[in-house]
Amino acid sequence: MGDLVANLALGFSVALSVQNVALALVGCLVGTLVGVLPGVGPIATITMLLPITFGIHPVGALIMLAGIYYGAQYGGSTTAILVNIPGEVTSVVTTLDGHQMARQGRAGAALGVAAIGSFFAGCVATVIVAALAVPLTRLALLFGPAEYASLMMTGLAFAVVLARGSVLKSIAMTLLGLLLSTVGTDLETGVERMTFGYLALADGLDFAVLAMGLFGFAEVLRNLEAVEARDVVRQKIGQVIPTRQDFRQSAAPIVRGSLLGAALGILPGNGAVLGPFASYALEKKLARDPSRFGRGAIEGVAGPESANNAAAQTSFIPLLTLGIPPNAVMALMVGAMTIHGIVPGPLVMTRNASLFWGLVASMWIGNLMLLVINLPLIGIWVRFLKVPYRLMYPAILVFCCIGIYSVNNSPSDVLFTAAFAVIGYLLGKVGLESAPLLLGYVLGRLLEENLRRALAIARGDFSAFVHRPVSAVLLAVAVVVLVVAVLPGIRKERDQVFAE
Amino acid sequence: MKTSLAVFAAVALSLPVESPRAAYPERPITLVVPFAAGGPTDIVARIVSEHMSRTLGQQIVIENVAGAGGTTGITRASQATPDGYTIMMGHMGTHGAAPAVYPTLKYDPVKDFAPVGLAAGTPILIVARKTFPAKDLREFVAYVRANATKLNEAHAGVGSVSFTTCTLLNSLLSAKPTRVVYRGTGPALNDLVAGQVDYMCDQIVNLVPQIQAGTIKAYAVAIPQRSAALPDVPTTKEAGLPDFQVSAWNAIFAPKKTPPEIVAKLNDALVRALDDENTRKRLLDLGADIADRPGRSPQALQKLVESEVARWNRVLKAAGATTR
Amino acid sequence: MPDDQRGAPTPPPPRRRIQAPQDFVAGLGLMALAAFALWASADVPAGRLGSPGPGLLPRAIAVLLGLTGAALVAGSFLWKGDPLARLSLRGPLFVVLGVIGFALTVRSPGLVVAGPLVVMVGGAASPETRYRELAVFAVVITAFCVGLFRYVLHLPVPILVLPGLVTI
Repeated sequence: MGDLVANLALGFSVALSVQNVALALVGCLVGTLVGVLPGVGPIATITMLLPITFGIHPVGALIMLAGIYYGAQYGGSTTAILVNIPGEVTSVVTTLDGHQMARQGRAGAALGVAAIGSFFAGCVATVIVAALAVPLTRLALLFGPAEYASLMMTGLAFAVVLARGSVLKSIAMTLLGLLLSTVGTDLETGVERMTFGYLALADGLDFAVLAMGLFGFAEVLRNLEAVEARDVVRQKIGQVIPTRQDFRQSAAPIVRGSLLGAALGILPGNGAVLGPFASYALEKKLARDPSRFGRGAIEGVAGPESANNAAAQTSFIPLLTLGIPPNAVMALMVGAMTIHGIVPGPLVMTRNASLFWGLVASMWIGNLMLLVINLPLIGIWVRFLKVPYRLMYPAILVFCCIGIYSVNNSPSDVLFTAAFAVIGYLLGKVGLESAPLLLGYVLGRLLEENLRRALAIARGDFSAFVHRPVSAVLLAVAVVVLVVAVLPGIRKERDQVFAE
Repeated sequence: MKTSLAVFAAVALSLPVESPRAAYPERPITLVVPFAAGGPTDIVARIVSEHMSRTLGQQIVIENVAGAGGTTGITRASQATPDGYTIMMGHMGTHGAAPAVYPTLKYDPVKDFAPVGLAAGTPILIVARKTFPAKDLREFVAYVRANATKLNEAHAGVGSVSFTTCTLLNSLLSAKPTRVVYRGTGPALNDLVAGQVDYMCDQIVNLVPQIQAGTIKAYAVAIPQRSAALPDVPTTKEAGLPDFQVSAWNAIFAPKKTPPEIVAKLNDALVRALDDENTRKRLLDLGADIADRPGRSPQALQKLVESEVARWNRVLKAAGATTR
Repeated sequence: MPDDQRGAPTPPPPRRRIQAPQDFVAGLGLMALAAFALWASADVPAGRLGSPGPGLLPRAIAVLLGLTGAALVAGSFLWKGDPLARLSLRGPLFVVLGVIGFALTVRSPGLVVAGPLVVMVGGAASPETRYRELAVFAVVITAFCVGLFRYVLHLPVPILVLPGLVTI
């Protein structure tokens, strides 16, 4: 305990230097901006700003880059709530209830709860990183391919719960998402699947393409039709800050989301993406009236937002304790550290104590800064909603197009987005929702790779999934979630029929 | 009419027309790195290009175009205008093994490029999980030969450095382990540390910290001299497997018809960067292997590409490890 | 009311009428997608269950998708659902044209053309658009984007690229 205090003291002394505070601020501002802009993500930005950090001391450079990363999480929820465009994978779930709240004139409350929840989650996660980094890493190493595959199965079960409407349709969309995730070059054999020879498809579809197309552009198409509904919404100003009732409803989801996200973020192998989905599923199951979800339930924003920010912080753990990056952004951090002469590895904690603890302390400072930056911005964002739609949507089009192009500098990505815009529009016309599709897509690759990997290591023996304890537990959870989700669904459809 | 013609002529003449030979470079140069940022090739590219920018007087901007083992980025860069403002960082995979791995490859490493020069190579290491039952390379070789079918070898996907180099290793050992694929070296290394897989062949850059911390075991480094970053790890020559000599070399290329004067200028900047104390130190700290002076010329690079293409073609076809 | 009509039994509900048109169309669409996916991955080796090849999972998922689609179609005859909504042409058409235009022009001639293009063509998608206002807005927003993406975020978005003449 005394060690922890001493280390934290060291960390804060490093993080509170004028230069490092300024760098954290720059990082958070740029991160928020990047999160708000659709398509542009922390990866592109960190890559571009990397050369600028060459002249800065390593700790400062990392503080700034880290600020960009978790700042983007805060910003991503803004577009998800305001215009139904998830800026990052982790903001997909926020669109479900967050945007509905915006349509009801409660955008301010949604944004406020998202910011406050994220701050709380950040605090919790920073404490976890500081106190439990090493033991948690050891736990995370227990997660092999079989456990990951089972975790992904559990994730898929959550997809069913995501549905606003029919369970069958939700399952169908999840399957479609899974199918889309297989497009591309197979990792193991190099065989091309469903690419029809297009070089652009050789690496599969990009998440940003799907998200922009199915959510962003398709939403524009829908709004262009439903003129009356859209304009009425724009008249309502609504509360700019959350009410006491909102706080009361959000408190428990925020705590649960933070813990859930923190736990999943540690898993190397991008388990962090599951955080918001798991939190949403959990809140929907625990709520007294689950039918509110998908129609503007504040718990559906509070929980997932806390989860995604907690996961963003704890995903630094595998990087800092093992030197192995759990996702593409952390891989960039590895590069950044290496270029600055610090090769990340298990010895960084001891050899470069001031780096490790300085970064940890600066995470907390960064979260505080983000809260301070984002809360006043809410008033500005809410006012954006009053821009006449005839100007708003062309602006959305431009920003999304540039954002998509900038991901891979590829015009074919933009073309694919247009295709998915039409697909998303048509899907909406027949009552098929896009959120489970995105979840299926995100999980698809992780599921397939880990499944095949586990089978390769186990030489084809399926019982491996059940013999290993963690995997067995996860599979059991998946089955339970599925059963619990499907049963009431069937009952509801039958009720609907009888009501007619 | 005449006035407008005159005005038009004046405007047209004053537009920044590109005269490629005159005073190259006049604006920033794009260096295409065909891998995700943060990886070994990207890091080498950034370290080297930082110094080159100073010599050339213009910024070198790195553009990461990842995909299909690096071939996506190289394909795109090879089709760029050959005016010296788009160059690329290729490596052992993209300009050596690619023709054997990708039958539908849209470029020919030998014919479609103007080689600029070799930058730095990253030696390959043979590493295993820390509980692997072998004390040194000889025991490793014996164990693998005897138990190959029970072993799991990790690699980062068909066409990656870890894949091609371990194909060579496995064929030298006449071993057929189960090859487990990961999306990138990070996850592969993670499972090696966790003990889920048995061994791997990878570039030194990723492995140094793990070896120093003892989370994995290193048996040998596949270059003629020991690496300064890991002085305790023997070379394959010393340890009894001299045929396994691989370095994941990284080199700068320009598109096919780039004027020779521009190539010469780029080569000169590259050579100066590799001579610079600071740059050398950063590369050597990573464990990278800097080419010696004779090896840095465009002609030497062309010879290297030709020999590597032939070599990997032989190795990979023999092992049957090509797509389709 | 004539006697025979009051006592006559009500005619049975017409069978084979689609009760849930949306579900019906959705199900058919999914089945079509599943069939397409099966066709597209026909030449990819599937391997065995214990050692799955690259084709196993896509095909398995496609089959499951087709079954789900079939279930939806079957259900559309049994349970009531929402009727088909009308499709509009103008909105999707112009938005898509605008985005395609952007994709074709962004590399060359660059953002200065692609930006206003997608704004103006996309603007045609809405009947509320006031073209003169939109034209000014197009220029303003493109300039803003140039400043933001290129100069603040340092992203290599092509601003003005005329091969042989100018590259920004």
